[in-house]
Amino acid sequence: MRPADLTPLARDVMKGPASAGLIFFSLAVAYLLQVLPWSGTWLLVRPDFVLLVLIFWALHEPRAIGQGVAFALGLLMDVSDSMLLGQHAFAYVIAAYGVQIFRVRILAFPLPEQTLHVLGITVAACAVMLMLNLLLGADFPGLAYFVSPAATALLWGPANWLLYLPAVRRPRGGAAP
Amino acid sequence: MMIREPPAFFHRGPSPLARVTFFTLAAIAIMIADHRFHALETVRLSLSVLAHPVQQLAALPGEAVGRVADYFTSQERLLRENQELRAKILDQAAAAQEARLLRSEEEHLLGMTSGKSRYADKGIVAEVLYTARNPFTRKIVVDKGLTSSVQPGMPVIDGTGVVGQVTNVGTFTSEITLVTEKDQSVPVIAVRNGLRAIAVGSGKDGSIDIPFMPVSADVQNGDVFVTSGIDGVYPPGLVVAEVTSVQKDAARVFAKISAKPAAGVDYYRYVMLLPFAPAAAPPPESKADDVPRKSAKERARARRQP
Repeated sequence: MRPADLTPLARDVMKGPASAGLIFFSLAVAYLLQVLPWSGTWLLVRPDFVLLVLIFWALHEPRAIGQGVAFALGLLMDVSDSMLLGQHAFAYVIAAYGVQIFRVRILAFPLPEQTLHVLGITVAACAVMLMLNLLLGADFPGLAYFVSPAATALLWGPANWLLYLPAVRRPRGGAAP
Repeated sequence: MMIREPPAFFHRGPSPLARVTFFTLAAIAIMIADHRFHALETVRLSLSVLAHPVQQLAALPGEAVGRVADYFTSQERLLRENQELRAKILDQAAAAQEARLLRSEEEHLLGMTSGKSRYADKGIVAEVLYTARNPFTRKIVVDKGLTSSVQPGMPVIDGTGVVGQVTNVGTFTSEITLVTEKDQSVPVIAVRNGLRAIAVGSGKDGSIDIPFMPVSADVQNGDVFVTSGIDGVYPPGLVVAEVTSVQKDAARVFAKISAKPAAGVDYYRYVMLLPFAPAAAPPPESKADDVPRKSAKERARARRQP
């Protein structure tokens, strides 16, 4: 039986746990992409790479990555984006919670439908951040603000492929043909 | 039916709902502590030190592209630029000498009243690293921080005018809030007729508003506003903004005046951080100790309240 024959849920149950090194490395790369010198229009459409990778690992490694890691990553993003401390933390925790609630449901779907679920989660995270900023007296940055979560969700397919590669290639004891 | 609760013998800690409640409350507490009490500056500082090497790494590709582009700049362009700069120096030499003369005169005059010069002595030149990655605010980050004795509140200028004010100082970097940021205020004076006003960033499309000017105020298109220096933060005479539109509606109490910033607020590479201007006269209130530290924003807010 090839991995492709399995439903996503079964594939996820059968694969071995991802190494801590891979998780850390992918999060570090995502952070690096996030802090590239984006500015102007690019800043508005910048996908939230860290959130994307966070959602991936919260989905596939729920025991390693949960709300605690989401909170810590959020604080780091707040500092590097020079925002009020705690905004990203709030949004990321909400996103991680969404993944935990819908985890089994999301894994039951193939990639396109998964993308829609991820879109819901990223939009919710962004809406949380927008609401907090509006409460603090910022101006509404325009509907373009929601391009970023859409871009994040669109990257779900490529990210899945990239992050699954090491897991699929690794020979699994007994399970592999 | 979905089984939400795992059996008790699989110990998994608190439920997701309990966790999310805890973490969101923690996030809200942190936000309040940061916003109301500025209590987490040390946390921010240490996290920014941790993040610094990664940010430097991330800045590398852009820098490399810039270097390569610099390398391939044609010689003609460099020569032309050189000529233009030389012409500019000549152009400004007269003004500079005049300024020196004025300054020595001022020293003479103020020497009698044992005051100090109102003009800043030496600034810190800093390179702009990047625009703060935050769609809600207008800030830039420069490459000088605590190690170069940058202080929060220092005014920042470029070759043409006021850029903004230092609002957050890290170990190696500091954040500058631009004059176009919403509610960022600078006390100004019109060059043409000496009208005093406050320039407030609009937060939208990089423009500056001049609020609270009566409809009868003598303001025209093209009027240049410079810092008045009465706040003790900005030295006097720095160009802030040029008026682009004046709408006088008799139905309103105040005229609606928009201006565009004089400094290339969005496209410079080097800026200068000025030390605080020593106050020419002691401030009238008795709260003398905290006056020079107050930002122009707080000052404007205090002024607006009756």
